[in-house]
Amino acid sequence: MPHALLLKYPGTNCDVETERALSAAGFSTQVQPIATATPMHVSKAQLIVFSGGFSYGDYVMSGRLAQLETERFLGDALQKHHAAGGFLFGICNGFQILTKLGILPRASLILNKSERFECMWDRLVKVSRTCPFTQLLPDEFELPSAHAEGRLVCDPGDAQKYLDNGCVALQYADNHNGSELQIAGLQDPTGCAMGLMPHPERFLRPRHHYDPDWNGDPDWGWGYYFFKGAFEALK
Amino acid sequence: MPATYRTIPIRELSEKALTALSRDMKLSLSTEDMLVVQQIFRDIDREPTDVELEVIAQTWSEHCKHRIFAATVQHTVSGQTEEIHSMYKTFIQRPSKEIMARKPGFVLSCFVDNAGFIRLDDHFSVCLKAETHNHPSAIEPYAGANTGLGGVIRDILGAGKGAKPIANLDVFCFGAPDTPQRLVDGHNIIHPLGIMRGVVHGVRDYGNRMGIPTTSGAIQFDPAYIYNPLVFCGTAGVIPQSDIAKEMQPGLAVVVIGGRTGKDGLHGATFSSAAMGEASAEEDQQAVQIGNPIEEKKTLDVILEARERGLIEFVTDCGAGGFSSAAGEMLSETGGNVYLERAPLKEEGLQSWQIFLSESQERMVMAVKPENVAELQRLADTFQTEMTVLGESNDSGVLRVWHSGELVCELDNSKLHDAPTKHLASVFTPSPAHTGLHLDDTHLTDDLRGILGDFAVVSREPIIREYDHEVQGNTVLKPLAGAAADAPQDASVIDIDGSDKLMSLALAILPEWGKTDPYAMGVGTVDETVRQLIISGTNPDKIALLDNFCMGNPESPVELGRLVECAKGIRDAALAYGAPYVSGKDSFYNYFETEDGPVNIPVTFLCSGFGVVDDADHVCGASLRRNNSVLFLVGNTEDEIGGSVYARRCGIADAKVPQTDCAAHFATYKQYYMRALTKGLVLSAHDLSEGGLAVAAAEMAFSGKAGVSIDLDALPTQHGWKNNVIPCFAESTGRFLVEVDVDMATDFAAAMEGCPCARVGNATASGKITFTAGGKTVLQAEITELKRIWKHGLTPYY
Repeated sequence: MPHALLLKYPGTNCDVETERALSAAGFSTQVQPIATATPMHVSKAQLIVFSGGFSYGDYVMSGRLAQLETERFLGDALQKHHAAGGFLFGICNGFQILTKLGILPRASLILNKSERFECMWDRLVKVSRTCPFTQLLPDEFELPSAHAEGRLVCDPGDAQKYLDNGCVALQYADNHNGSELQIAGLQDPTGCAMGLMPHPERFLRPRHHYDPDWNGDPDWGWGYYFFKGAFEALK
Repeated sequence: MPATYRTIPIRELSEKALTALSRDMKLSLSTEDMLVVQQIFRDIDREPTDVELEVIAQTWSEHCKHRIFAATVQHTVSGQTEEIHSMYKTFIQRPSKEIMARKPGFVLSCFVDNAGFIRLDDHFSVCLKAETHNHPSAIEPYAGANTGLGGVIRDILGAGKGAKPIANLDVFCFGAPDTPQRLVDGHNIIHPLGIMRGVVHGVRDYGNRMGIPTTSGAIQFDPAYIYNPLVFCGTAGVIPQSDIAKEMQPGLAVVVIGGRTGKDGLHGATFSSAAMGEASAEEDQQAVQIGNPIEEKKTLDVILEARERGLIEFVTDCGAGGFSSAAGEMLSETGGNVYLERAPLKEEGLQSWQIFLSESQERMVMAVKPENVAELQRLADTFQTEMTVLGESNDSGVLRVWHSGELVCELDNSKLHDAPTKHLASVFTPSPAHTGLHLDDTHLTDDLRGILGDFAVVSREPIIREYDHEVQGNTVLKPLAGAAADAPQDASVIDIDGSDKLMSLALAILPEWGKTDPYAMGVGTVDETVRQLIISGTNPDKIALLDNFCMGNPESPVELGRLVECAKGIRDAALAYGAPYVSGKDSFYNYFETEDGPVNIPVTFLCSGFGVVDDADHVCGASLRRNNSVLFLVGNTEDEIGGSVYARRCGIADAKVPQTDCAAHFATYKQYYMRALTKGLVLSAHDLSEGGLAVAAAEMAFSGKAGVSIDLDALPTQHGWKNNVIPCFAESTGRFLVEVDVDMATDFAAAMEGCPCARVGNATASGKITFTAGGKTVLQAEITELKRIWKHGLTPYY
């Protein structure tokens, strides 16, 4: 059974529902507070997950303190895991952390164009075809979002480069937060590492859709298929 | 660090000197109270320390002791006087105990802990608690709301052996955001728009960072709230039933975990128990703090993990009164020692009483077996939070507080429980309650446009979106739904991990009604709460309520009279609906002295309800789902325009406020509607409340899937009406619209046979709302136009 390690920081708060989604997809999952995490925890896992929340409050650059603490406790274990073809998945604050760790293509997630926290559902378009996390999803689907700092910005020309070289996993159909080229999720060139702002773990079951008449899938919400996709690729 | 306390001679002081001492030390104790304090120390033949006086002041403060709800009140209505011994016991506790006796096994704990618990299923229990944080929010809206929410979350963490917070609710009462600045009298008063934005951001930054979904809320506007805004924060929790009971034993370690102790938050309990004035702002700013949600999140992580590992014997929050109330709660019966020098401090130089009384945020106090201290310490280290053993329990029966070897406080708690009973007088004179008023019903469509844009009715969407209402991934019925996820819902419903049952939450607040008929306000508010819960799918026999009262000066007999009448109403309603009050809170002195005399807030009653949804299939939203379905209206519409949004906009102050026949309503909800719902005959249902039928029909159509056509002549009624303003905008209670599939309409009608219910119209593909009467169209508009008005009512202020 593929094993997932979810790293929990002070202020991480979507660990319970993310663990729920991982278990539903078939993973054995360990939630590990960062202060007691070791490279051994990493080496046992096929998938490392960074869930949503406000690591260390996100009062300074989102994800920055989590990055420093991760390096303090784990050294380069995550980079080694990545280089060996291990999977990494970052959701919301986890996306910000993965970006700061340099595992995903260089980008920043800054304050939304609206300059406020927004909790709303986003329509998403699947872009990359090489990403195991999105392989089971249709070309267009919806997920709930909830963030203040989800506006993706890059160095000049980088966003287009990511689109051209297959590093854009997802785009927004509507672009609430004002991201460059409507980018909602990034992956590394292999697709083994992926991050996105919306929350797949919150749309596990059809009843978690806002419309009781939603009929996209009889048993599962779209979010389930991110975890299932990773599971299928790793099993 | 040496002890820094002083002995204060009071045994020989005159009455006048005692009063002056209370004022100088900001104890907020009356002369009568001070005389009792003096006697306590004459009896034990020594002088008190400042620590002891501060502890007594805190214990006897209105905030902690609810002395007005416990007072003896001479209540006079139309010349007839009755004596009420404790409004709390008479109107809240007694009916609740009666209901609990009727429903054994439903309420698992109440009146003793931080929150009341009800049975969810065989294994789990759920709870809810709501608090006010009014005065701090008036002075510093962001920080006041921030710490208000942080405090009520800690209440849940300290309920049982540590309940898990699973939802937040927030309810605000403000002056209108477009209030002209010249009407905001007093240079220390923050404009209502500033209050609103600050409060919303304060709730947002705490609730979101804690990872708790904010699923329910409401907002009311009235000029009387300009000086005294009300901020209600609530938190729901879940806990295994086996972890509800907690008991102190001798020989346990008393441990504090979380934030450090500082000078911030001194006198919070006494400060919130006094009136606001021009001087308040400057003097009392030290009583308001800014919260640190991440500190509290780490504390939450430790407590939930420690509870699951069975490490916790007892836990409580450090709320009003700080260590003194937490230690008092834990150690006053067994006895024990607290050592102040061990408390981790934010800064040096705190006096003994400041350490013991500080209300610094984000602290929880636990009692654990000595052999478990090491494991708890490891957990604290794992989650990177600070933990300190502050003292221990013993079997002495006396709580002793030490500071660097000196005994600074030794009080016999049994004497402190008996604060002197207050004596108050109240008077109520019923207002005129006219029916048959001449109302102009020639421009109903414009009236509807106006009402949909009224602050009482407009969409709260800009606020709702700033709160994460989906974190934890369990929000099934969300605050906004429909085809575009922006239409309003009645209750919110959340999944509970590990259970096939769901928890529902709803609330109502109708301060406008209480200005003329506070009894009807009390009953109507409970009715609306219960009705929203049931039409959304809650089992009618599994509902519990919370009462939160706010009012101005209780020493004004007219103001207090309204409160008494309201309390009578909520007693009667609770008994009829079989819904006990399992928790509550009150806030007094919400008035402001201006040059033109005092401005009291209207007597305000927030009813929050929570219950059990037995099956996820019972969950029912309030947005239309088909464009060819049938609409039924349940409940009678009567000539009761008083208290309505329509009446307020027209300046009508003497019309009859809706009267409520709770027993008949409950029979309709439980014996008719609930059976139809559980048989699968209902597509959607929406309660009729502010704005009446016209607003409810429009809101259902805001789902974006259909228009609405309704024949006003078909509405069920007992006494009828003289013009069409009544069926459109009256707010008669007990009513809701039900959408039924066209193929199920006959079955639904048959299921409802025997209660007031009629087929009144259809959901249509027209994109319009159309009301007809006497064969003529009396109201018609495009849904998209109306939705624009409603949806963007608050956006200019965001």
